[in-house]
Amino acid sequence: MEENKKMTMALCTGSFDKLIVAGIILSGAVAEDMDVEIYVLLYGAYAFKKENGAKIGTSSEYPELNRELKNSVESMNIPTWVDFFTTAKELGNVKFYICGTAGKIWGGEKVSDFIDLADDICGIGEYVDSAQNADVHMLI
Amino acid sequence: MTTEELQNTTADKVVDARGTACPGPLLAAKKAIGEISSGQIMEILSADEGTRRDIPKWATKKGHEYLGTVEDSGFFRIFMKKG
Repeated sequence: MEENKKMTMALCTGSFDKLIVAGIILSGAVAEDMDVEIYVLLYGAYAFKKENGAKIGTSSEYPELNRELKNSVESMNIPTWVDFFTTAKELGNVKFYICGTAGKIWGGEKVSDFIDLADDICGIGEYVDSAQNADVHMLI
Repeated sequence: MTTEELQNTTADKVVDARGTACPGPLLAAKKAIGEISSGQIMEILSADEGTRRDIPKWATKKGHEYLGTVEDSGFFRIFMKKG
């Protein structure tokens, strides 16, 4: 049987607009039966911190468009980034690894300090190794 | 299949994804394909233009047979046969 293609994503953002983009791309990869590893770096780790998981919409690339974006997203029935990630994980082989340094920056050292989507804490070597072996690699 | 044949086709499974934007219909199709058997027909209803292009490509790539798309009032009916 042919092996699944692999996608590796470095998720550095905690900005809800880019997290939605990541969720949409992740969904497409899962639909294609790709195995996905997401390395949650810097601000991504902030968004994944347990107490911050629901705090979306506090940051985006164009803050003046936040209201318009949120209204459109809601009226179009587009899921939240957490819902995108959760569905993708239910449907496919998706792993989320929190960068140890990024976690510590926001006061999280154990995987249990982050929302349930997080699979483990990782070092940067694991990310580089994953990226080297990926068919698709991207940074958001 | 011709448009007329498709219009008269009764699918084994109908997935109504008209309330969702891309990638909602694609994910709904992926979920539902596991619920039918090889040779059965699935019909996906979607009002999303991107999905109209995505699902035929996805279906073919995954070894299913894309049968065609019929335009209805404000949405598309996309037919595929499970491989």
